[in-house]
Amino acid sequence: MTMARTISPSLAALVGAAAALTHGAAHAQSAPEGDHVGYRYNVYGEDAFDGAAIGSTQRYEVFSQQFQLGTHVAGGALDVSATHEVMSGSSPWYVLPGADGRPIQVLSGATIREHRSELRAAYTAGAGTASSTTISASYSQERDYRATALGFERSRPLGAALTLGYGASLSHDIVQPTDAVLYDRIHHAEKNTASAFGSLAWVLDRNSVLQAGVQLNHGDGYLSDPYKLVSVGSDILPDTRPGARTEGAALLRYRRAFAHPDGALHLDYRYAQDSWGIVSHTVDVGWYQRLPGGWQLVPALRYYSQAAARFYAPFFAPGEHRFFSSDYRLGTFGALSGGVNVRKRIARWDFSIGVERYHAATDYALGGSDAAVPGVVSYTRGFVGVDYDFD
Amino acid sequence: MRIDRCAMLLAVVLLGACSTVPVQPWERGRLARWDMRWDPDPLQAAANAHAHFSKEGSDGQIGAAGGGCGCN
Repeated sequence: MTMARTISPSLAALVGAAAALTHGAAHAQSAPEGDHVGYRYNVYGEDAFDGAAIGSTQRYEVFSQQFQLGTHVAGGALDVSATHEVMSGSSPWYVLPGADGRPIQVLSGATIREHRSELRAAYTAGAGTASSTTISASYSQERDYRATALGFERSRPLGAALTLGYGASLSHDIVQPTDAVLYDRIHHAEKNTASAFGSLAWVLDRNSVLQAGVQLNHGDGYLSDPYKLVSVGSDILPDTRPGARTEGAALLRYRRAFAHPDGALHLDYRYAQDSWGIVSHTVDVGWYQRLPGGWQLVPALRYYSQAAARFYAPFFAPGEHRFFSSDYRLGTFGALSGGVNVRKRIARWDFSIGVERYHAATDYALGGSDAAVPGVVSYTRGFVGVDYDFD
Repeated sequence: MRIDRCAMLLAVVLLGACSTVPVQPWERGRLARWDMRWDPDPLQAAANAHAHFSKEGSDGQIGAAGGGCGCN
């Protein structure tokens, strides 16, 4: 990690788990998957900082590779995935008040190349059947950050059209910031995250399915960012957040198949609220268009909006503040993103390529906002991939 | 008020879903298609979620925790 996030469940593993859960939850729609391997190469680049700033303007770049192996073992399905990321660039560090009261973002020096490696394994008993159980484990390591997680998920039918899914997970993270002595950072800190979730999936008719789910996350321990500072009066102090955070979320997902044109509509909505005061809405819309010759075109749009944590401000006036952070990720902003993927099937091979453009701004927040949140990031991502089915 | 509106929307959707006619197994061919999965491409879904997770303040995902940070 170059700059730690606030609550630590990594969505890389989390989404994999969600996929496993929902395969069970909507078992009626998924044939058992055969043995397969997959590979993705991803490139991520942030836009240049366009506000008043001090420091390195070399923004963040990430190059990552993902590997996946799915196979049948001992009557169940084993899914193993590995990710390796290489990251470099500068990050928002703290914010100073300018002479006119407008914020000036101070950026860190560009980091040398950092690496993150992650390994995840999940075993599903009863994969592709009406009732399945998945256990999963993952481990992620960076020079200054380690995370270990265990998960359990279960799905079972509640009648012909309804499937119940539920599960729980635990994550233990350790952070040991670099240059702790030089910058007077905390030397060692830990945090734990526990999650519980449940979902119901309905087969609405022969063309559509709906899933509704809820999730509760609780994190405790060191939830601050050891690399970020805050301007409080004339002092520059370490980022200081509460030692616990509880988040509740609700999710709706809808899938509908169409014959003319031959495609499928994906609609997702997610609402989340946490004990720090952050409230977020996320809407995802995707269209999977089948084309002749084994081609598939997948355009997608996403909208995200969040309201700030109670203890967020770009900078603070002198006085007693128990908690304070100027991390833009805790501020009020919204983001619009759009992308398109193209896939081509040739025999047992699937080749894919895609791009996403993500643009974030404070005035994209739901209801609009003129809040000062310097450091909000826009980026462009792209990937190429290949998959092979053995069956 | 936002929570109230979300709860009402959820209730309407759930009630609507409960009123559906059962679909027989032999009528589920379209539902079994690859593009009807919740996440047809788990690798890309994981990469998308990781990018969003590292830039936004709210997770709100459904599923098990795990992994690390890899963010700035």
